Amino acid sequence: MVFSSISFLFFFLPLLFLIYFIVPKKLKNMVLLIFSLLFYYIGEKWYVILLLSSCLVNFLVGRKLSSKQKKSYLILGLVFNVGLLFYYKYTNFFIDNFNQILNFNFSTLQVVLPLGISFFTFQNISYLIDVYRNDTKEEKNLFAYFTYISLFPQLVAGPIVRYKDIRKELESRKESTNKFASGITRFTVGLGKKVLIADTLYYTYTAIMASNMSMMSYWVVALCFTFQIYYDFSGYSDMAIGLGSMFGFTFKENFNYPLISSSITEFWRRWHMSLSSFFRDYIYIPLGGNRCSILKNIRNILIVWILTGFWHGADWNFILWGFYFFCFLILEKFVLKKYLKNNIFSYLYTFLIVIFSFVIFSISDMKELVSFFQGMFGIGVEITNFESIYYLKNNFMILIVSFLGMGPLFKNIIIRLKKGKMNKVLSVLEVVFIIVVLILSIAVIISSTFNPFIYFRF
Amino acid sequence: MKNKIIVGIFILILGSGFIFGILSKTQEISFFERRKLTSKEDLKEDFFANLDDYMSDQFLLRNELLKVSSIWNRFFLRNEEYNNVYTKKDSIIEKNYPMNQKSIDGFIDKMNSISTRYLKNSNVYYTILPDKSYFLEEGKELKMDFSSMKKQLNEEIKGVYIDILDEFTLEDYFKTDIHLKQNAYFKVIPTFTEKMNLKYQKKDYEEYKIDHFYGASFSKAPYLNQETITYYSNQEIKNTKVKHLEYGKRNVYDLTQLNNVDLYNVFLSGPSALIEIENNQSESSRELIVFRDSFGSSFVPLLIPYYQKITVVDLRYISDEKMAELISFDQKDVLFMYSTLLVNSSEILKVKK
Repeated sequence: MVFSSISFLFFFLPLLFLIYFIVPKKLKNMVLLIFSLLFYYIGEKWYVILLLSSCLVNFLVGRKLSSKQKKSYLILGLVFNVGLLFYYKYTNFFIDNFNQILNFNFSTLQVVLPLGISFFTFQNISYLIDVYRNDTKEEKNLFAYFTYISLFPQLVAGPIVRYKDIRKELESRKESTNKFASGITRFTVGLGKKVLIADTLYYTYTAIMASNMSMMSYWVVALCFTFQIYYDFSGYSDMAIGLGSMFGFTFKENFNYPLISSSITEFWRRWHMSLSSFFRDYIYIPLGGNRCSILKNIRNILIVWILTGFWHGADWNFILWGFYFFCFLILEKFVLKKYLKNNIFSYLYTFLIVIFSFVIFSISDMKELVSFFQGMFGIGVEITNFESIYYLKNNFMILIVSFLGMGPLFKNIIIRLKKGKMNKVLSVLEVVFIIVVLILSIAVIISSTFNPFIYFRF
Repeated sequence: MKNKIIVGIFILILGSGFIFGILSKTQEISFFERRKLTSKEDLKEDFFANLDDYMSDQFLLRNELLKVSSIWNRFFLRNEEYNNVYTKKDSIIEKNYPMNQKSIDGFIDKMNSISTRYLKNSNVYYTILPDKSYFLEEGKELKMDFSSMKKQLNEEIKGVYIDILDEFTLEDYFKTDIHLKQNAYFKVIPTFTEKMNLKYQKKDYEEYKIDHFYGASFSKAPYLNQETITYYSNQEIKNTKVKHLEYGKRNVYDLTQLNNVDLYNVFLSGPSALIEIENNQSESSRELIVFRDSFGSSFVPLLIPYYQKITVVDLRYISDEKMAELISFDQKDVLFMYSTLLVNSSEILKVKK
């Protein structure tokens, strides 16, 4: 089930609101758990058992992390989680590559990648490590732990929520009209980003890619890839944060206007922050971080970025994507750092590198990827043609909207208006904005025959 | 206060959709979209797999929301070809681009293959009807090169070409449908009679109107209005006997189709593999075989006075081999009549190469 669907908005969510806000406080977590499992079951059917089994194992291991053999239990837990992820996500990738490289003929496994497995596995790992490090207490209530892992707002597309960040809210939280209303605003913004912008960009580049492409078309498609992934992913995070807020949870931010960063280093402080902080806290720092020799530091960065790439999907383009960022991060760390300030060159450089990165991210076939880059540099194609100008003109507005929305322009306007004592006008505008975006999004969902979902490989 | 209003509106919108979804009566067919909707029966098969389609199909104010979506994309995002259609002079134009060379070659091969196999002793004519994209502006919209298509067809298809490509205007078509209105064909009948060596007959017709017509393209730009189908009949047409291979006996204008989602099916009962039309009042003893797509449905009735028997074949629904078992072609007139839409997607014709 996805948030941007009619069945979620008009069946699942109203039913959940109805029951959640009627039942006594002590049953609220149970209601959330049941609905979260239903949410997962609707999309993934009996993989819900896998989700529950994974939770159960991690819960039991967590209970043992206060014992004397806590290190052994931690290793056991990590092996289980990594093994589970490896089996479902990476086994066929390795079998395929062994077969190709060594000319073997091993048959691949008949397994489907369970949705959200990368997210819930990383949440389980973060829980075990945090308990092991005494950064948080272990959860003693099995159902509370199940609720934490399977909480539907963040189950299939993140953010990766750490147990220590919502432990108190799991035990006791206060839902309020204000929190509910701010959750609605955030959810609506996310829904609009996903349905009105990201999905439109998907249709845009699909149409352009079916046309007679020129160099200009390749650049427009690359721009569409970048904006689509940003608006889809950050839109999903907004919806997750908004839904969390409606039920009294406070999830940390996951995106902070990454496309206006002045360096790749800054970009990764602003993009999918829950993932980058996971790798920083649980891989990079334990490996020695930067408090070691330069060579070891470079090794640590390489490991983190290969893993980051591989986490996004079991394919070579994702590994290449991670390696690509590793190269620029090293380049910035040792060479470019002093030049990358808040100037137009830095922003353009970062934006360009990010655009190239999302081409790598979007095209898994290596031959197609090479051909796409050739197209971007005008090799074997015209610089421009009628069709590319036509498609640019026809999709100009969505590109402008995407461009204007990538920075905090609208947020800053609102802050200025608030300072100018325009609060009443702003309140009315906020209500109108929510109604308009909600109705437009519903209209677009209803008229769509396909709902692009970019997380199926995560 | 503001927050209470936001919560109230959100709950109202979601709650209305939820309650309507539970209490409303299931609609089985959408005339607006011309399709069968997901029903409660589908939910019984697999509730969760079909829930989204069901709720979306049966959604409160669905038709109005389709209009909103279309207006948003076309007028705010300025996507002129949203849903692969253009709108010009309030008429919906299906995009027919790019030119599919493989399909055009295939079309020619299929026509010639039929001629070689079955039409050695027949008078063969062919004509191409322009689809609405013919009226797009070259250099502004995506319009295929119709002149090169016509040139290739003229050079390679065996038979007498009846050129009516430039005879129509956009106003001759239904605004919400791909087809030509029936009265548009009146102006090309003299061209046909001249080329096919028939004596032109000026006939009187009575006009019959069918309201509430949502054309095949309507749901792609639903902010336009429904329209009226006008068909032309007289006593000779009313007395004509029509027999379908699939449905048996019907009338030329089949009013039983008024309950169908596609009111255009009133012309020769819509899609049909093979139809025999016999006009005992005809002064002629000649016979005609028409190979056609859906454009032919409203044209063929106007040829009735000129032939004693017209056999109408739609190769999308019958293979040429099966057809050849049922028809004799010797000494008969044969007309291939296809729209440029079909020429550009000829793979759907069931002709053995």
